[in-house]
Amino acid sequence: MSAGRSVKTRNVIIWTAVCLAAAAAILAWKPSALIYGVQRAGLYAAVAIPMALVLGIVHIVNLAHGEFMMIAAYLAYFAARLLGLDPFLALVPVALVMAVFGLVVYLATVKHALKAPELNQLILTFGIAIALSQSVNLAFTSQSWKLSLGYVSASATVGDLSFGTFDFVYALIAIVLAVGLRLFLTRTRFGKAALAVGENPRGAAIVGINVDRTYALIFALSVALVGAVGSVFLARQAVFPGVGGPYTMKSFCLVAMAGVGNIVGVLFCSLALGLSESVINSIRGYAGWSNIVFFAIIIATILVRSFRERKA
Amino acid sequence: MSLSRAAGVRPLRWLLPILVLAAAVFMPFFTGPYPLAVARSVLTYMALAMSWDLLLRSGQISFGIAGFFGIGAYAAALSALHAGFSPIVSILAAGVVAAAVACILGLVILRLRAVYFAITTLALAEIFRVIMQNGGDVSGGPEGLIMPGLIFNGEAKALYWVTLAAVVVAGLVSAFFQRSRVRFALTAIRNNELSARSSGIHTFTWLLVAFVVSSFIQGLVGGIQLQGYGFVSPDSVFDSYYTLLPLAMALLGGTYSTAGPILGALLLGVSAEYLKLKIPSGHLVVYGIIIVLVILLMPQGLYGVYRARVKALAVSRGGRHG
Repeated sequence: MSAGRSVKTRNVIIWTAVCLAAAAAILAWKPSALIYGVQRAGLYAAVAIPMALVLGIVHIVNLAHGEFMMIAAYLAYFAARLLGLDPFLALVPVALVMAVFGLVVYLATVKHALKAPELNQLILTFGIAIALSQSVNLAFTSQSWKLSLGYVSASATVGDLSFGTFDFVYALIAIVLAVGLRLFLTRTRFGKAALAVGENPRGAAIVGINVDRTYALIFALSVALVGAVGSVFLARQAVFPGVGGPYTMKSFCLVAMAGVGNIVGVLFCSLALGLSESVINSIRGYAGWSNIVFFAIIIATILVRSFRERKA
Repeated sequence: MSLSRAAGVRPLRWLLPILVLAAAVFMPFFTGPYPLAVARSVLTYMALAMSWDLLLRSGQISFGIAGFFGIGAYAAALSALHAGFSPIVSILAAGVVAAAVACILGLVILRLRAVYFAITTLALAEIFRVIMQNGGDVSGGPEGLIMPGLIFNGEAKALYWVTLAAVVVAGLVSAFFQRSRVRFALTAIRNNELSARSSGIHTFTWLLVAFVVSSFIQGLVGGIQLQGYGFVSPDSVFDSYYTLLPLAMALLGGTYSTAGPILGALLLGVSAEYLKLKIPSGHLVVYGIIIVLVILLMPQGLYGVYRARVKALAVSRGGRHG
């Protein structure tokens, strides 16, 4: 246990050092790339962390993860248009509605596939993703909707460099989510029980933990959290039925990179990816390639990980 | 096998496919241009659904059908435009290029399993799209490529028969995989890879074979699609539509079989055309719901249910006689 912890601490230190070195190099080369990279990373991490929670405890790859965020963003949009609620105020009611929605989806579908082969679970959540995004498409067309809020264009100037500051909110949310979940899982009674279920469902059941209920609540919690992120997402970004899809894919890749169950690791991986994406983006004429670099890095990392696991 | 022979089902096994094929071959003589176009689109999805099922039999699920379909379309366009290949040769080239790409990528990504492989294939389709979008003059960028003319000068019947030929190829490969030792290899890998390997199956080789063959068919179909429309762009061929529909068809019809994807494509393909007309945007919701319902209620698919019934019937009959 103590050996495991020291290795973990060493890893965190190494990764922090690597990220700092990369950040310093980018800062020297192009400061704006660093700023936008951190902002991007914050958004990726904020979306990915709830997925890491579900994967770590329920062991379900939820391919509808981004679609839940998309639906939350639509809810926030209507809250803003019909009730005049600011996305940051709508965050709490949206999260609550999404928790109920997530619970319903879980009870109606995912619950019945927990014992099914992994492939069936994967296809099931893929189907849920399509059903969600296409019903929104059916109801509201594929047109993209956007709020125009004054405060999102807040900017700051340092020296001769001026940049938007609003997007740092995502980085803040990501850190709050990571720290909050860590405290929840290690300090609270329900959190500890959930962690136990994640590590060994049968053992947890033997010591009297209600495994079914834990799965349902953790799934609902994850949907609620990604719903809250979706609400804030709307403050800046436009929302349309397909907006969530890429985030599902990127979230899964980040979680896989970090290793299942490693929530803090998601922060580092997001940072690495956010930075490399924004570096490519800031090279003139190569902005279109940033997606491919993202996926190339991710595939490489997953491969290295799978080889390492095989050796171990 | 012996049970069905005892029950006298055997002639049906050969007669039914031949009758269906004959009906498909002679169909253009009895229908108008619109039903023919619908039939051709059904055939396109049918071949894709069968090719997807091939790889699924090894326990690996691919979300990258659209990726290899698109590679095929681009390969056909580029080989016809730059190398001067005739349309038919360019279609074959499309299959070969998709297979070659799958072979090279497969050497790496087939070391991944289950969800990691699935997500990687999903990402691959996206990577191919980005490459074609940023390919400059070679790939035509976001606008894509336009062919100088259509295959057979746009003769619909001939195009239909070419598509049918691709379906026959897919069907024969699928049936061969099902009736030869390939089936045992793939099923063993799906059930338990470790025990498959310890019984002497070269698991990696078989996975690669399944991946390359299924990509070959997808590339072939992509090439035919290009020659049929005379046009290719990143958004038209790498559309998730081409992943979603075949997947839903194979699932509904019944996976791990040849008849299942055919049945599913007939049912969903015809309804797809109708829905596309009735509800232009958002009709895909139907496929999402179908996928969810099939997985939850009938994971073995329609053909699987039928097969289980026949087996039960044969067993009960056998019991009465013996």
